[in-house]
Amino acid sequence: MSFVIILIKASLIYGGLLGTAAAMTLAERKISAWMQLRIGPNRVGPGGVLQPLADGVKFIFKEEVTPDGANKGLFRLGPIMAAAPAMLTIAVIPFAGETTIFGIDFGLLSLTDLDIGLLFVLALSGLSVYGVILGGWASNSKYSLLGGLRASAQMVSYELSLIMTALTVVALSGSMNLREIVEVQNTGNFLDWHCFTPVVGQVGLILFVITTFAETNRHPFDFAECEPELVGGFHTEYSSMKFALFFLGEYCAMTVMACLTTVLFLGGYSVPFWEDAPWIVQVGTFMTKTAFFLFLFIWVRWTLPRFRYDQLMNLGWKIFFPIALANLLLAGAVISLS
Amino acid sequence: MVVVQRRELTFWERIYLPEIFRGLAITFKKMFEPRVTRQYPEEALPTNEVTRGQPRLVVKDDGNIACVSCGLCEAACPAYAITIDSQETERFIEREPERFEIDMLRCILCGFCEEACPKEAIFMSDELELANTTRQGLVYDMKQLERPASTLKPRIDYVRRINDRW
Amino acid sequence: MVDLLFYVAAAVSVLCALGVVVSANPVQSVMMLLGSFTGIALIYLLAGFQFLAAIQILVYGGAIMVLFLFVVMLLNQGDPVALAREQGVLHKEQLAGGLAVAGSALAVLLVAVARTDLPRPIFGYLWPEGGLDPLLGMAQAMFGPYVLAFEGASVLLLATAVGVMTLAKRQRNKPVAAASTSEEASA
Repeated sequence: MSFVIILIKASLIYGGLLGTAAAMTLAERKISAWMQLRIGPNRVGPGGVLQPLADGVKFIFKEEVTPDGANKGLFRLGPIMAAAPAMLTIAVIPFAGETTIFGIDFGLLSLTDLDIGLLFVLALSGLSVYGVILGGWASNSKYSLLGGLRASAQMVSYELSLIMTALTVVALSGSMNLREIVEVQNTGNFLDWHCFTPVVGQVGLILFVITTFAETNRHPFDFAECEPELVGGFHTEYSSMKFALFFLGEYCAMTVMACLTTVLFLGGYSVPFWEDAPWIVQVGTFMTKTAFFLFLFIWVRWTLPRFRYDQLMNLGWKIFFPIALANLLLAGAVISLS
Repeated sequence: MVVVQRRELTFWERIYLPEIFRGLAITFKKMFEPRVTRQYPEEALPTNEVTRGQPRLVVKDDGNIACVSCGLCEAACPAYAITIDSQETERFIEREPERFEIDMLRCILCGFCEEACPKEAIFMSDELELANTTRQGLVYDMKQLERPASTLKPRIDYVRRINDRW
Repeated sequence: MVDLLFYVAAAVSVLCALGVVVSANPVQSVMMLLGSFTGIALIYLLAGFQFLAAIQILVYGGAIMVLFLFVVMLLNQGDPVALAREQGVLHKEQLAGGLAVAGSALAVLLVAVARTDLPRPIFGYLWPEGGLDPLLGMAQAMFGPYVLAFEGASVLLLATAVGVMTLAKRQRNKPVAAASTSEEASA
């Protein structure tokens, strides 16, 4: 029985994740179009809603090209390593509290309830950089290699700030378990959400969101791709489904990071003024909050120009990291005072 | 040499975040402004008599082609897009084209043929669309080029008006 | 089930460790090492040490191996033809040295295993029973009785990092004029 429940949950959650990723490709194009006074894709299906399907079909039927001198095995491993970590991390995100549907007890609406949930997410998202590096190196192309190198240096630098900021939340809620982090914030009073903790919460939220952008290789930190300098960056030589897998990985990573931001700072599934809301309201609240961050990803991409690479490194090491450390100290002070 | 004087940034500009929010506000507002995209095949491009589209041959009201196959347009064509073979005719003008082809892939829509024509027989129409699956299909013969004078009327009047100024 | 997973994880880590030594391509070696670490992390996980497993992946997989890869990719890997010729050729000294190191490590390990009174079955024993929070236990141990050792280790690491920076930082060969002006400025 429990196996069936897990199976149902897994298929729902992964279907949701992949669906979100597909929808994000459409949203990206639609929203960018609106912001530039264009219309965007509108040919496939009503208003273009079936565009992701058409893209998928196109990707499958494209010819796969492996460049000469490419390291075949690693070239193949690249897209897998890029997509797998993002898809694994969704497992620990809690979408709603204790859930009973039609009298069947589904327990916590997440795939697994790990004590080290946050650590699990951070560890696996740290692995996602391998996809970019391997793709870049194995392509036997100078542009790809540069893209991969940049990505590796960038991700290692920004991961520090990301972890430090996440630690602030761990300190505030006293647990690494994502469910407990949400439960601490789920008091019916939305001022208990971590983003409303004076100073620490706001600084943490802003830092976390920005470092998330760097971690998922999104604008304005997408140096691994950086079209004007590096053609396509690490995926210059990729085609067909392999390229699509990189794409999918990026959008999955965005989705997971948006979920994580929601859980850490916006109280996850907690509904304002309604502590024990039914599961459907909780899921709805969670999705609304996540959708905002997903929109933010797109919104920022089509607003800001790309940083310069040295500026990026300066920003990461000389500004974000000290601020994140100071914020962690401040969080310690807040906790010991209260 | 131009020396660009950079303005000293204020504190709020240097911490960068407020400016980011200002930029975000701008792009957000833009999302709700009217679109400028034209849905081309459904929404045709606006044309008028000044539009210099593909050249077309005039068929006079009596059903005869106005061209006398003098070859001036052929000579004027900078892209060598026009090919004319002439033949005799019983009509008063004595000569008419047997074959009149314009290779639309070569035509650069410059309008020199129109200017060169002494008989008001070739005009730039407002037809702009050009699509086919073969190159040969885009070499238009006389049948494809002929247009009754009435459809070309605005352009003919326009060209006459322009020429009257000289 | 757990036993089967253990054997899979163990096989993966051992085979990958072999791959590190055998593969001619340094980047491939790094990836093999990553696989080996992941296998070990899986074994930790099977033994019930979630925290250790996550840290293993986070620190070794996410940080250290990325830096390795970064350096390896920047290295000049030499002529591929010459490398291919070298492949499979074992020099006597290398073979002897490698065998000596591996043999002594194996001997130490065997002796240690033989002298330890291992509880068996291993996994049934190590699973934390009755909902013990492994994270809490580890934190309490680290910041309770062993806080001095923990802080000492971190200070040592910091000192090492600073020392490495000082040693590795290249003395800039500044032009004489520039150097002297900077000295004057500092004076």
